Amino acid sequence: MITLDSVDKWYNRAAANEVHALKDISLQVSDNEVVCIQGPSGSGKSTLLSILGCLFVPTSGQAIINGKPLSRLPDRFLTLYRREAIGFIFQRFHLVSGLSVMANITLPLLPLGMSVPERQQRAEQLMKKLSITHRKHFDISNISGGELQRTAIARALINDPPIIVADEPTAHLDEQLSNEFMSIVGGLKADGKTIVIASHDPLVSDHKVVDRCLLMRDGRLEGAKE
Amino acid sequence: MAFSNLNRHRNILDYALGSLWRNRFKNIGVFLVFSLVIFIMASFRLVTSSLDNAAEQLLTAVPDITVQKMTAGRQDVLRYKDMAEIEELFGIKELKPRIWGYYFDELNGANYTVIGDPSFDGRQQMPGLPIVNQPDDGSRQGVSPVVIGQSVIYSKNLAGRHSFSLFRPDLSLKSFYVTGAFAENTSLVTSDLIVMGIEAAADLFGMGEGELTDLVVSVGNPTEIDTIAKKISERIPGSRVITKKQIQKTYRAAFGWRSGLGLICLLGSVCAFIILAWDKASGLSEEQRREVGILKAVGWQTADVMSVRFWESVVISMLSFTAGYTVAWAHVLWFDGFLFRPVLLGWSVLRPPLTLLPVFRLADLILIFSISILPYLAATVMPAWRSALIRPDSIV
Repeated sequence: MITLDSVDKWYNRAAANEVHALKDISLQVSDNEVVCIQGPSGSGKSTLLSILGCLFVPTSGQAIINGKPLSRLPDRFLTLYRREAIGFIFQRFHLVSGLSVMANITLPLLPLGMSVPERQQRAEQLMKKLSITHRKHFDISNISGGELQRTAIARALINDPPIIVADEPTAHLDEQLSNEFMSIVGGLKADGKTIVIASHDPLVSDHKVVDRCLLMRDGRLEGAKE
Repeated sequence: MAFSNLNRHRNILDYALGSLWRNRFKNIGVFLVFSLVIFIMASFRLVTSSLDNAAEQLLTAVPDITVQKMTAGRQDVLRYKDMAEIEELFGIKELKPRIWGYYFDELNGANYTVIGDPSFDGRQQMPGLPIVNQPDDGSRQGVSPVVIGQSVIYSKNLAGRHSFSLFRPDLSLKSFYVTGAFAENTSLVTSDLIVMGIEAAADLFGMGEGELTDLVVSVGNPTEIDTIAKKISERIPGSRVITKKQIQKTYRAAFGWRSGLGLICLLGSVCAFIILAWDKASGLSEEQRREVGILKAVGWQTADVMSVRFWESVVISMLSFTAGYTVAWAHVLWFDGFLFRPVLLGWSVLRPPLTLLPVFRLADLILIFSISILPYLAATVMPAWRSALIRPDSIV
């Protein structure tokens, strides 16, 4: 369960370039729910996702994820929690160039002190599930957009987190690949994951696997499309 | 837990090695420059140590005490009667007269050191100074036997010849017959040396009968050298008494001073490199910043990212250190340290054809390590820490 209570987020507060990115956001996402957050660019979707993804804490208000209040956690503990509980899929995939598909997928496991065979076994299972096993030794600069995204999804899932956060996951994909992505999301939901997706792609928001759609505008959640 | 921690460090080291390989062109540049800096410093140190070591070994042949006479602050001649003043001193094992002087060879523009030894017969070996004897071709009647250093052979162009002549002060010629040459590995002290009988030396320098330049004293108990030296200076007023320890100290001071001066000059290049390393570590490219952001976003702690940067620096510096030190070793072993030899030996007219052997000294290794690797690691720690502070949300 994810709970945001009266969350505000300011950037560069009290400076000339201050931005009030999130304004009094209250939100609850149940376990195993798939929520889509829609809204125009600059509406605060990515900021909201960053708080849900434990990349940073709100300026004020409460963020409680799986019963843990994260609002005032120092960076070190936020990182630990992010590593255990959150899988983040970025808009531009954000894979490390020069590394192979396998190396990118296993990146989150390195600081855990997991042995090479154990890491590879986990990655192999995910790659098989996402049909990219044949590309495991390929440098990421040599694979297609769909394969890049599946690599990014595999990396987000490698720690088996209960919550998946995806920021505009279909922004750089064609229709076929977008549909493939939503099929994967369906599979993840079936596996019991809680998923929050920020997207203004109707193919995502209108997909049957999405339980709830929320609309953001100017830093506020304006309404919900059931 | 401990095993997991070990695995964590292994994983991070693996990642650091991969990261070095991915940025190999830039890192090879740093490696080459750093190796060059270490090579120069290590070469300098190794050449100094080799010379120091060679001097240490060769100076075993130096007499325990050398006595000279000083008049008006300048060296004057001693007389045989001065020997009588000290020969009864308790503790003296052997007392010998000697003539030690310098001969300027105008023809070749070279200075030779001439030693006249009363016990010299042209054949016997000298302690600590091995002589390669020449075959006797029977042409030595009427001429004085000598043993000469390698530079004298070269300077007098004696290859294949056994005899040569030098001018007396009255410009008459005195002929010598070469019975042997000092071994090349003793060239540090024998390069310009001509050893002959004391009468021959007195004749060459036109010295009066009973005149000497030095008295050479051998002491039975080495711990009494200083005491006996003090007694000699009391017995012969105006004498300069030099002990073996003082001569060794002078050699060490000469090399040590030059080496120290050289190292101080080289520290400038280390500083320049450290500034370069700092600059390189501070100026992260957009791609590198993005990579740190990704690592942080997927759950790497700031300490993990710092560890990667630390291992990168350790690997580069250790590789550079190994390469630089190995090449420096080869430079001394196979090329006789030709880059720094002139600086440390001086630019004398006769350059000793000395063969240097590198000497391993832990203190040298630690010195080079301390003034190269440690500053490099220190210079990269702060930028590494700053780069590790890049926020994970920077990539969102």
